[in-house]
Amino acid sequence: MLNKFYGALSQLALARSMPVSLGRTAVGTSLHRRSLYILPTREGLYYGFMLAVMLVAAVNYANGLAYALTFLLAALGMVAILHTHRNLTGLRLSAGPAPPVFAGAPARFTVIAHNDSGLARLAVDIALGGQTGRVDVPGQGIAVHEFTVPSRVRGYLQAPPVRLSTRFPLGLWRAWSRPLALSARCLVYPRPGPERALPETPSVLAGREFARNADGEDFAGLREFRHGDPMQRVAWKKVAAGKGWYTKQFAAPAGQVVWLDWDALHGLDEEERLSQLCRWVLMAEQQSLAYGLRLPGLVLTPASGAAHRDHCLERLALFQWQ
Amino acid sequence: MITSAAAPEPTAPTSTAADWLVGSAIIVIAPLLRELPLWVSAGYLVAVAWRFLHTHWRWHQPGRLTRWALAVLTVVVVYRYYGTLLGREPGVSLLVLLTGLKLLELRSLRDAALAAMLLLLITLGSFLYDTSLLLGLYTVGAVVAVTAAFVRLQHPGLPPMRIARFAALIVAQAVPLMLVAYFLFPRLPDALWGMPPSDSEAITGMPDQMRPGNISALNTSDAVAFRAYFEEGPPPPNQELYWRVRIFWDSDGRAWEEGPPLFARDVLRVSGEPVNYRLVVEPSDKKWLPVLDVPTEAPSDLRSRAGFIYETARLRHERQTYDFTSYTRYRTASLSEVERRRALALPPSTSERVRKLAATWRTSAKGDMGTVRAALAYFNQESFFYTLTPPPLLGRDPIDEFLFETRRGFCEHYAAAFVTLMRAAGVPARVVVGYQGGVYNPTGNYLIVRQADAHAWSEVWLDGAGWTRVDPTSAVAPTRIDYGMDGLRRLSSQGLPFNSAAAAAVLRAMQLPWIERAWLRTRLAWDYLNFSWYLWVGDYSLERQTRFLALIGLTEWSVPVMVLILMQLILLYALLQLRRRRPPRSRDIIKRHYEKYCRKLARVGIERRPNEGPLTFAERVRAQRPDLAPAINEISECYIALRYGSRGGKEEVRALARAIAGLRA
Repeated sequence: MLNKFYGALSQLALARSMPVSLGRTAVGTSLHRRSLYILPTREGLYYGFMLAVMLVAAVNYANGLAYALTFLLAALGMVAILHTHRNLTGLRLSAGPAPPVFAGAPARFTVIAHNDSGLARLAVDIALGGQTGRVDVPGQGIAVHEFTVPSRVRGYLQAPPVRLSTRFPLGLWRAWSRPLALSARCLVYPRPGPERALPETPSVLAGREFARNADGEDFAGLREFRHGDPMQRVAWKKVAAGKGWYTKQFAAPAGQVVWLDWDALHGLDEEERLSQLCRWVLMAEQQSLAYGLRLPGLVLTPASGAAHRDHCLERLALFQWQ
Repeated sequence: MITSAAAPEPTAPTSTAADWLVGSAIIVIAPLLRELPLWVSAGYLVAVAWRFLHTHWRWHQPGRLTRWALAVLTVVVVYRYYGTLLGREPGVSLLVLLTGLKLLELRSLRDAALAAMLLLLITLGSFLYDTSLLLGLYTVGAVVAVTAAFVRLQHPGLPPMRIARFAALIVAQAVPLMLVAYFLFPRLPDALWGMPPSDSEAITGMPDQMRPGNISALNTSDAVAFRAYFEEGPPPPNQELYWRVRIFWDSDGRAWEEGPPLFARDVLRVSGEPVNYRLVVEPSDKKWLPVLDVPTEAPSDLRSRAGFIYETARLRHERQTYDFTSYTRYRTASLSEVERRRALALPPSTSERVRKLAATWRTSAKGDMGTVRAALAYFNQESFFYTLTPPPLLGRDPIDEFLFETRRGFCEHYAAAFVTLMRAAGVPARVVVGYQGGVYNPTGNYLIVRQADAHAWSEVWLDGAGWTRVDPTSAVAPTRIDYGMDGLRRLSSQGLPFNSAAAAAVLRAMQLPWIERAWLRTRLAWDYLNFSWYLWVGDYSLERQTRFLALIGLTEWSVPVMVLILMQLILLYALLQLRRRRPPRSRDIIKRHYEKYCRKLARVGIERRPNEGPLTFAERVRAQRPDLAPAINEISECYIALRYGSRGGKEEVRALARAIAGLRA
């Protein structure tokens, strides 16, 4: 019995000493009672002052109804503590997918608040990186809020810690959580460099000829249209037939490719090279070329398509990234 | 269910939230409108209307400078009007006007919250004028309205009905804690500082003189004079309910008055059972208190006079409560020389006819008692009538005029005539005014005595018995004494005579039709509610609290103990409220069994993660606790078969339950 008690006590001590010791479940971070704080707001202090005035009046006039009102309002203030606190307890946070962005563009993080209880959580403020969003989380439901965080350098951008707070229902108390780390990161591609001509290699020429001449001859098949696919590749006949949007794909014969080579970029520093390569990847993809990527210690065989482009960009983003 | 990102946190109250404040502002001021000077109410309402117009039609909002100037002006005007800023009237007026000004300035949520708090203070202000049950109930509504405005400020987007329900809910949740604090919070014996007198409506007390017609003037009023609460058993029968207020010794032939006060101590011998009762006296413009004939114990802070007359030390503007003990069977023992002389003094205007009538009784009847009987028989047998609307007595000697000419009168006519006749016959007599009877409220075991029950009777001094009550009215209209004023009214409404109706007819007349009975019962229940409200709210003083605490077993207590208990209760309440709500029981029996299994394992530290299926979970359990492997296998197999297989009979469910019950983790 005693052992059990001490065990619980030491666990508690351990839990308190850890910076963010929130119950990390596989699908989010939930708010336990111990990770929540609550204090009166300034309005709450005024409210307390009002109660004091009321009590003095009640005592002085020996007025039973005034006593009753004072105590009713005092009790209301206390009930409000519980409601404010309960407005956050047990909420679970997770992050939605953060689509990759180019350095300099705002990264978009989606915070999802899950409410496993049947009780709606209202007017919950989610603060992330200096922005605040207010959401209502219905009972057994979720609420989503999107934040934008400026991205500066390539690599992974970790989502800043999230803080939940609420003043609901009366605004007399404010409950807030410790900063919660979200397991969300946004892939930041290098900032695209200036629009320079693609490297002039024979294979590039061949590729271009291929691109000009091979139309309709080396048709390799259809795949579902993806956003960003060039319009001239759309299978318009299918669209017209009402069968949906498809993109025509062409096989590029081996050797008829453009190589985007790290070593070809003389006179630029590392980041500039990555930026340039990034731009070229985009240009090559735009022009529907097959392109390969050569980085120190890494070679991506030529191909084309959004998946390939994303793969190239990811390699660029994470090139020698810690 | 998904809700998407909402609007950013508002910094200024939305127009709907401002409207709710405006609504609450009107609700809280309503009970005060009758009490405040017109210009204060008008100023406040103008500010409220301005707020509304500003919200909806962008009316000009006064700037900071204007508002400050208006605030200063308000203080000055209130000071000029009342000559002071302290006390109830100036305080409440100031509060109301400044709240109006605050309503004009709702630039931030904080302003709005402050305005809402001021509205709550106004509600408190209205209690300084009235503490009735109705106002109490009304205030609950007002508090809910202000709470709803608070919620609306925090969350303008919620549907109004939902906010209203939620506000009502949290106010309801606050009630238990409020009750505990209310009953246990230590009361002070006195006010912190001087209380200004309030001017609650005072009833007209017993007049200082009795003249023909001035007691009957009281009888038109159904206002409650006092209530008498009997602690043990029902009150004495109606015939014994004589509530004496004053004794009138001296008369000029027309008016009867007390004359020089007599302070002789009454010596008393009592028999029978004592009657303990608590008087709750409505504020009146007189200091006299009604007491049941005759009191033996009275509160020590009252002043008494000869003849069991009590008065308060000063005029009271609030309802007052006094505890008395009376005996309805009694004898008084001594008659001082002064008393005898004054009780025999005959007004000089007394006519020869009156003196002669008294003299015939004196000679024919045996002793003082015989004289009294003869007089009562005279009233009973001669054609005297009891009426609420007696003809005016304008002659030089009203007694003579009444006895021999009009013969129609009310209690004061009979009392005055009887006392005059007794004095003429040499029997010491005096007039007593007070109340007779009362309406019994069986729900709360108390009597309601109204102004209409005002009565006058007489007392004569009989050797051996002392001052003896003789009510000449009973000889003329026995119904008045047996059934009270209401009985008399009923007789009169059915056209029955007051003095000669047959007993059976009277009894029949006293039977109320069911609808009237129901109406009476409703009124009595309402009166009981109000009376209890007064006892527990209006009069919940230190003394009453001590008594209540003794009742629930707390005799020795002090402020720290009380505060400690209070804190404990608050803590307990908080813990109860915070207790984690268990997730609702699943209707799915298989799931319920499986959840039990998970709970069992969670107790030994193996908690199923939300993303773990039954198989992966079982695998992990087996890895951590190889000893449980066979049981785990069986349970998982059973569960999966039930859940995902085609089998699903009761037998399989029972097997699963058995396997889980048998799991010894």
